[in-house]
Amino acid sequence: MDYRSFFIFDSLSKFVGFFVCFFTVIIFIYSLGFIKKKKFAYYSWFFLTFIASLGAVFSSHIIALIIFWGFLGLTLFQLINLYSDKEVAAVAKKTFIIVGGSDGLLLVGLLLYTHLTSHYYITGSPLPINNTLAFVAFLSIAIASFAKAGCMPFHSWIPDTAETASTPVVAYLPASVDKLLGIYLLARIVKDMFILDNISKAILLILGALTVLCAVMMALIQHNTKRLLGYHAVSQVGYMVLGIGCASTLGLAGGLFHMLNHAIYKSCLFLGAGNVEKRAGSNELEQLGGLGKFMPVTFITTLIASFAISGVPPFNGFVSKWMVYQGLIDFMNSSVSTGLKFIIAMSLISALIGSGLTLASFLKLNAGVFLGRAKGKVEEARPSLLISPVVLAVLCIAFGIFASATILPFIEDSVGNIPMIGLWKPQPATVLLLLGILLGLIIFQLMAKKVRISPSFVGGEELNFEQEPNIAPFYNTIKELAFLKKIYALAERKFFDIYEQSRKFTFLFIRFLQYLHNGVLPTYLVWCLLGMIGLFFIFFR
Amino acid sequence: MHILPLFPALGLGGAFLVSLLGRRSKKFCDIFTNVITCALFGLSLYSLCILKSQTSPLVYKVGGWIPPIGISLVLDGLSSFMLIIVNFVAFMITLYSVNYMEKFTAKFKFYTLFLLMLAGMNGVIVTGDIFNLFVFLEIASVASYALVAYGVEAEELEASFKYLIMSSVASLFILLGIAFLYSYASTLNMADIAVVLSEKGLNNAMLFASILFIVGFSLKAAIVPFHAWLPDAHPSAPAPISACLSGIFIKALGVYTLCRLFYNVFGANPALLNLFMGLGAVSIVVGALLALGQVDFKRLLAYSSINQIGYIILGLGLGTPLGILGALFHLFNHSVFKSLLFLNSGAVEYTVGTRNIRDMGGLREKMPVTSSTSLIASMSISGIPPFNGFFSKLIIILACIHAGHVVYSFWAILGSILTLAYFMKLQKNVFFGNLPERYNNVREVPFFMKTAMVMLAIACIVGGFMVLPKVKKYILSPAQNVLTHGLDYKNINEIGVK
Repeated sequence: MDYRSFFIFDSLSKFVGFFVCFFTVIIFIYSLGFIKKKKFAYYSWFFLTFIASLGAVFSSHIIALIIFWGFLGLTLFQLINLYSDKEVAAVAKKTFIIVGGSDGLLLVGLLLYTHLTSHYYITGSPLPINNTLAFVAFLSIAIASFAKAGCMPFHSWIPDTAETASTPVVAYLPASVDKLLGIYLLARIVKDMFILDNISKAILLILGALTVLCAVMMALIQHNTKRLLGYHAVSQVGYMVLGIGCASTLGLAGGLFHMLNHAIYKSCLFLGAGNVEKRAGSNELEQLGGLGKFMPVTFITTLIASFAISGVPPFNGFVSKWMVYQGLIDFMNSSVSTGLKFIIAMSLISALIGSGLTLASFLKLNAGVFLGRAKGKVEEARPSLLISPVVLAVLCIAFGIFASATILPFIEDSVGNIPMIGLWKPQPATVLLLLGILLGLIIFQLMAKKVRISPSFVGGEELNFEQEPNIAPFYNTIKELAFLKKIYALAERKFFDIYEQSRKFTFLFIRFLQYLHNGVLPTYLVWCLLGMIGLFFIFFR
Repeated sequence: MHILPLFPALGLGGAFLVSLLGRRSKKFCDIFTNVITCALFGLSLYSLCILKSQTSPLVYKVGGWIPPIGISLVLDGLSSFMLIIVNFVAFMITLYSVNYMEKFTAKFKFYTLFLLMLAGMNGVIVTGDIFNLFVFLEIASVASYALVAYGVEAEELEASFKYLIMSSVASLFILLGIAFLYSYASTLNMADIAVVLSEKGLNNAMLFASILFIVGFSLKAAIVPFHAWLPDAHPSAPAPISACLSGIFIKALGVYTLCRLFYNVFGANPALLNLFMGLGAVSIVVGALLALGQVDFKRLLAYSSINQIGYIILGLGLGTPLGILGALFHLFNHSVFKSLLFLNSGAVEYTVGTRNIRDMGGLREKMPVTSSTSLIASMSISGIPPFNGFFSKLIIILACIHAGHVVYSFWAILGSILTLAYFMKLQKNVFFGNLPERYNNVREVPFFMKTAMVMLAIACIVGGFMVLPKVKKYILSPAQNVLTHGLDYKNINEIGVK
């Protein structure tokens, strides 16, 4: 047997594979400065993750794909459990159950797929979704990619992991490589494996839109920087799913580009949070503040990444979001059914609102960590911990301003020619933006003597920063809104966590079964008798 | 010299000698028993080679009597496969017992009973005579009743009593079934019975007998709803015995006998296969759910056995070559990782002195070998690639889909997710998290216990390769062929190599 029958090296897998390598290098450099204990265990699982990720990206035979893909769950579990305490162990368990469970669905989905298409390859002839079995196969495979990437409702492991696992692990797996893999699989499903019908497209769009909105609403009220970033890692997946859910070239390209951009700025953000954690010793917004002047490099990289994730032009997040929006608009124009049109319009609106709320929550993050009154003197992180965030921040700018010159050609190779329907010329726009800023600076310099100090603008919030510089309760007013209050209360009780809900449900059954197993011998003998009667009934009917 | 009689004879003879001479010296018991189990394992591998060099199965006539009159011993692909499993795990268990059983008194009694049980299992596997099968089955069962009660505390005695009652009911049903069969076929040789049944066809009496057999052997194999004795009996025994009972005993006495009777003697029919699938599916989920609710390390594993036997029965019930392959492969895998897990539980109990997983935590730092082997076993049983359990589950699910039972395939995945959940619970509570202060002085278990666990863990990893075509044709395929061409078994007395 030839190795080619198991692996595929087309533009898409090369594109994703290259960036898997890229992020491995970036995080590896960071880990060299960050990981001090249990180095052997960390690096061995780190490289196993790397190899398995590459394997998963380049597999074309479904068995090979499942093997690599499933093994990643174990490596993730081990990496989270690196410095295990009670809380970490619980999170690792939850993560592995969600991810491993979805891998099980992937297995059965792919096997069903091979049964329906009678071949074993993910890049054979696409299967039209025109019967229940094909739809079930599609859904099972999609769930695996959702759980890996963190799309709702399979997202709940990401915020927990982000909060508890060590920073390089979070930046490596949930923030970058798992996203690349999950979205890669989703792109494969849409591009090569299935021909989507309108219902499956609508499902993708609805889930994507819900993910964008709900996760960003949760992010707004977080107090822990890493957990906040974790919710954004969920929210951003929504955009990718929206793009890919269009199933058009433009949407696919937008989704893939957003996947890449997200991996770049989100790892940058997590690494920044890691630097803050290393120096200030905390991730709680209550205990941070005023670090901007002590850690300028970390501050600037985080700021750039925050702009990028919020979709502020001219950074990379804007370009890819713009492509996703165009994809949605294009899809809306081309679809005939009114219901679908409505769904697309709603997704577009929620994506736009989500983008605004992202900016709002990053305002909170940056203000809380880097601005305000300092609570003590800290030092900038060591240079070895700064290389990776700086490289990533530079990429945020480069892929934003020079997207069409640098990265888009590769994406075009992967999905086909991208027919942009909107107009966005990043270079002139950037020049204009810079000119505007320059003009402002000149005016400021000219009138420098007349500086007026006014109270901080808090956007109508009932806070007084001058007296109590604590950003954490910012946006609590949203939490108090009559309609949202109940939803937030439910969310904090983990009502929307699929893991908690299925656990409750399962334990109901278990209690019933335990009630039946009362340990009394005659009962058990009665069961045998009943079983035997059942057999007689079956055989002598 | 013919090797077939050696399988039961070595165990029986060893038991006799250990009980006679072992009272004096513990060291003699240890060495002698290990030599016997090792020899049995070697013989099973050798039996595979013999089978490879022959074109047809081996038949040995005990005492030179011709089969319908005398007893015959039969070695075909299936029995050779089962012998390898049973004797490999038994060897590992005796190795482990060298250290573990030190804390019990009268080690030689343990070894005597163990060897008797092993002789019984080997006998069940090699015999070609249904009454002889019953006798060996009883030898093994009686030895296991005593072994379950080995700790002679209240809990052990209660468990053993329940087990004794339920298992005797099973034996009674089986005996009754044999009586029906004998009255109909006028012979006890299984191949002859197969010939008669295929000539005369099945009547209602035979249906009745087959129900008796299903109930009896399902009780032995612990298939829901006949499983209730297992969660009491398996945890109460000393860890090596739990490993033996869950790992090989229920398979040799339950699953293997079911296969032999219903594929080779009665011949598989759709109604029966559907029944197996249903029983398997129920076992998968009931076992998994009950395991998820447990906080006792060994009880959790015991329920897990019910869950995993469900997969085997589901695969067998599919009746397709792929399903049978998956079932046999899973049978092998399950005996490896389940015995490993029970040995792990024994190691943990040996060091921390409790079985309640809520009282443990953080043992990973203190017991690296136990922890990593148990992680490997947990991953295997939960079907995480690239460990062996993944491949067998994959084959079973693929077989379900190819046979058109898509619902069963999702059902099997549901069971697999629940399996992952309860093993995650186990791992989290026992090996990860914080180490309670009272366990600060805990140390890794002694050498032989470690060796046995490591070797089984290696088998978990290497076992996955058994499904590669080049390896498969030596071990799995002969066993699979015996079941896929089930009724060829009736010709065994004519074509078998004497």
